[in-house]
Amino acid sequence: MPGQTQDSAATSVARPRESPLAIGVRRILRKPSSRVALFVLGVIVLVGILAPLIAPYDPAAQPDIVALKDLPPSLAHPFGTDPYSRDVLSRVIYGARLSLMIGVLATIVSLTLGVAYGAISGYAGGVVDALMMRLLDAFLSIPRLLLLLGVLVAWPRLSIGALVLFLGLTGWFGLSRIVRGQVLALKHAEFVTAARALGASRRRILGRHVLPNLVSPIVVAATLGVAHVIVLEAGLSYLGIGVPQPLASWGNIIQDGSDQIATLWWMALFPGLLMVLTVMMLNILGEALRDAYERR
Amino acid sequence: MLRYIARRLAQAAVIVVIVATITFVLIHLAPGDPFSAVMDNPNVSEKVRETLRAQYGLDRPVPEQFVKYVNSLAHGELGWSFSHDRTVREVLGRALPNTLLLMGVALVGSFSLGILIALIQVARRGSITDHALSGLTLFFFSMPDFWFAILALLAFTYWVPIFPVGGAVDPVMHEYMGFGARILDRLRHLALPAIALTLLASASVARYQRAALLDVLPADYIRTARLKGLTEREILRRHALRNALLPIISLIGLSFPALLTGAFFIEKIFAWPGMGYAVVNAIATRDYPLVVGGVIIGSIMVTVGSLLADLLYAWADPRLRSH
Amino acid sequence: MAAMRYAGLLCALFACGCVGTESSAGNAGGTLAISTGGDPDVLIPSLLQSVQAAQIADMVYDRLADIGDSLNILNDKGFTPRLADHWIWSADSLSIAFHINPNAKWHDGFPVRSSDVRFTIASTKDSALGSPAAPLLTNIDSVTTPDSATATYWFHARSPQQFYDAVYQLPIMPEHVWKDIALTGWRASDAAKRPIGSGQYRFVRWIPGAAVELAADTANYRGAPKISRLIWSIAPDFNTALTRFLSGETDFFEQLRPENIAEVRKHPELRTRQYHALLYLFAQFNLRDPANRARPHPIFGNRELRRALTMATDRATIVRSVYDTLALPALGPTVRAYPTTDPNLRQIPFDLPGARKLLDSLGWRAADTNGIRSRNGRPLQFTLSVPSTSKVRVRLAVVLQEELRKAGVKVDVEQLDFPVLVEKERKRAFDAAIGQWSTQPSPGAVRGSWGTAGSRTASGNNYGSYENPVFDAYVDSALSSFDHVQRKAYFTKAYETIIQDAPAIWLAEPIPTVGYHSRLQLVTLRPDAWWAHIPEWSIPADKRIPRDKAPASTAASPAQTPGQKTQ
Repeated sequence: MPGQTQDSAATSVARPRESPLAIGVRRILRKPSSRVALFVLGVIVLVGILAPLIAPYDPAAQPDIVALKDLPPSLAHPFGTDPYSRDVLSRVIYGARLSLMIGVLATIVSLTLGVAYGAISGYAGGVVDALMMRLLDAFLSIPRLLLLLGVLVAWPRLSIGALVLFLGLTGWFGLSRIVRGQVLALKHAEFVTAARALGASRRRILGRHVLPNLVSPIVVAATLGVAHVIVLEAGLSYLGIGVPQPLASWGNIIQDGSDQIATLWWMALFPGLLMVLTVMMLNILGEALRDAYERR
Repeated sequence: MLRYIARRLAQAAVIVVIVATITFVLIHLAPGDPFSAVMDNPNVSEKVRETLRAQYGLDRPVPEQFVKYVNSLAHGELGWSFSHDRTVREVLGRALPNTLLLMGVALVGSFSLGILIALIQVARRGSITDHALSGLTLFFFSMPDFWFAILALLAFTYWVPIFPVGGAVDPVMHEYMGFGARILDRLRHLALPAIALTLLASASVARYQRAALLDVLPADYIRTARLKGLTEREILRRHALRNALLPIISLIGLSFPALLTGAFFIEKIFAWPGMGYAVVNAIATRDYPLVVGGVIIGSIMVTVGSLLADLLYAWADPRLRSH
Repeated sequence: MAAMRYAGLLCALFACGCVGTESSAGNAGGTLAISTGGDPDVLIPSLLQSVQAAQIADMVYDRLADIGDSLNILNDKGFTPRLADHWIWSADSLSIAFHINPNAKWHDGFPVRSSDVRFTIASTKDSALGSPAAPLLTNIDSVTTPDSATATYWFHARSPQQFYDAVYQLPIMPEHVWKDIALTGWRASDAAKRPIGSGQYRFVRWIPGAAVELAADTANYRGAPKISRLIWSIAPDFNTALTRFLSGETDFFEQLRPENIAEVRKHPELRTRQYHALLYLFAQFNLRDPANRARPHPIFGNRELRRALTMATDRATIVRSVYDTLALPALGPTVRAYPTTDPNLRQIPFDLPGARKLLDSLGWRAADTNGIRSRNGRPLQFTLSVPSTSKVRVRLAVVLQEELRKAGVKVDVEQLDFPVLVEKERKRAFDAAIGQWSTQPSPGAVRGSWGTAGSRTASGNNYGSYENPVFDAYVDSALSSFDHVQRKAYFTKAYETIIQDAPAIWLAEPIPTVGYHSRLQLVTLRPDAWWAHIPEWSIPADKRIPRDKAPASTAASPAQTPGQKTQ
């Protein structure tokens, strides 16, 4: 493994014009499965962004709470309606928007923290490194869901922003360990030693030489991280401690129908299917990226 | 080796202490009052509530509560669960065997199934079977635990009601059954949650194992074996699988958090009276000690799981044995 | 009168001799399995708070006398003898001497004595116990025991409901079981896990999270109940409890939702029945400013505005949407089951144009593009808090949110954990909340939940701080009237006063619907406790199913495991 990373590090020094990200993209586009994944994800993201234009109804409107509630799927409401007579398709479309947004934002938080923590720990070394790693071990031993339950129970009235923050705060442990490993390996790599010999500052070395080599684990972690957050958010919303009611997220819609699951099956099925599809595509993409970086 | 074990044990202990601190701090920032939860009654006065709070030490400052808590934790006591009117130890002690049973069955089941799937795939790599199984395992791997559990519950207790609904035994008749019938009753109740958790967990095992086998296959000794005239199937069984089993041990350790998380949702949805069920229900009643106790026990389970896996790995891997 | 009651009881005892043993039972026998949504909290009558615990305790324990099905609470009219076979009022009506039935025995064989009665009241009133029932016993000074069969209640003041206060709130507990346990240790004691009472069922076992089982007390002084075994099958949530009922695992389900009715109809062996309950739901406004209680609330301080909000709410449609036919619009802070409630109380009618006009005239005019009204730059917007654990209340809130939006009012629905919501309400730190009171047979609870007394003290339950001396005076007059007609007239005036002041939007009075297996012969479902008459329910011998025939011991019965399953 260390041999491989040094290899790719060497190439990136030799060919500064093409960024590691571009290499990754070029490589995965060779595989048909990842092309499909990218396409499907693109469509879902587009649907999320264009939700106000695409959704056939206002996701929050309750047109007729007596006559139009709990309707099974039909032409007028392909995904049925919920107990408030709201159109489930429209809510699933808006849900895509919110669920993806939460996934991406929380992952950005995790990435920032994970890279910072791992880089500091790896670069500092010694006692600091040992202490930081022990703390990390402790965090890694608490299953993420349990940690989140603890947090969300403590702050029951969370805004979306806070939810994103907490999802992000609990998602960086794995990545920071990988980053630390990479930094440790790179610290003594020849080109870094060379840069140091040439009088480059610590910050410059970190920014110019070490960080670019972290792109591959970060990109992989980001892709899989978004998938993970989407699933977690849905789980928390299902337990009733995630996204608050007036808004629609995929987990939230399932929760809305959870007390009548036997009769309102469409409320669990459709948002769930879309969620599985999204997560599947993200997983395909994440693995293709990993393969692209690991196997030359 | 002994020193390695001692070091790993000390690490594990430190981890548990840190975990206890973190969870305690988090949960005690909560603004609610656990005793008002039960009162939908206009006739209950504030005085009564105050008495209840004083009785449970909730009127003490948080640092004092924490000192008390750590002290009792050191003595193996996890506090008093006021929603159950029992010690947390008793509540979790009753629930833990059920969780361990569910996780144990799912662990064995998912590794057997996962490895089997991986073997089939690798034996026929590139075939339609391989691709179909890859798709299937990816599908299960991507599925939220709770969503699959809901669908399974819907399908097999409602649409095609062949399994009983929730619980570990038939609450009405179990006490009146003979020995054999009781075992059967338990199995009937265990079946659906265990199958659900097994299917969910086997997806990642299969995917991991397939990759591990493919990594090993081009290795020199397998090429040698091929030259010796062994069939593909024999090579897989005798050489590749054996070498790919080592990573399996570490995967067991790694799969604990996911298995536990899965068990939480499965228990909640199938009303399986385990730890996850107790903790999730304690969230609604804001039973602080029970939630903290659950998080700590869960973390200990994960720590012990990875500890065991590490030790097993060290024992199995000759390169590490001399350590 | 007492003599006649006694005669009736002798008959009952005689009957008990006949049906006491299983073998000769004509009608006795069978198992009633009740689906329920949670464990009982604690099986001690003076400490319990959950409905499951109340059901179980009412079977295991017994009261001195029981309230009649009419729920009359004036003097002792309609009350039937239980542990007390008769009672004598003192001339000044400040004490009542109850005579204990000499045949009454605890399930462990000890006789029930007057000292048990004294102990029950004294321990409940002791603040060290922290009993939620203590505030209900304030008019009782003490209980004395002139002899072992006579317990005399002494009251502070003459009141129309003093008999009700004495007998309804608490069943009698055995002194010999509890006297050596410190009051603070009751909850955690072993005795709490194996309750010993004198009711018609005795406790068998409680497996937390799974079941509570009771068996007929065949030696009971009131005779053996008709059904031999009661089992509460504990499910974690509504769906599981319901599915167990539908699949035949249980026989009784206590609160069907409208969407379940069709489901139940698909099963020819299942029946439903409705009854009136003592429960009402409302959207309560905080009339004081949460930031500074000395000031009125910037929005809800205005009576006309509150009236406009009620006018803008189509309560009938909301109730139809959430409950279908299983609830009626609430009348006010009361329920229809009270004999003192006039079902035709004058209401604020639904009138959306009128509400808009009223809001316009108050200076709240539609300003922004969403049609939300504002006045002096302040939008007409508030937060409606609702407990996330109650699906029905969440639904009411979300529907109400949309109703008020049509009138130009912006409502933010805030779902809170139940404890957090109650904490906010107690601190008066909320704008508006969906509330629910389950009241008692006495309409007097309204004084604590909507009267000035309950508003000023921090411990009061009048979270919205509605204060109107006229309302208070009418309620007090009603509660001190001995004459039913006069009582009803005063309550009507009190209710109409508060309805017109609109401190809340009175939303729904649910009509609970139970589901049950057709082999069960139900008796009246009492509004305050549908389970009160369970000892009189029966299962005819020719309709019994395998679980009805389970022996009273834990012996095996190979007949009923449907040996399927491939595991």
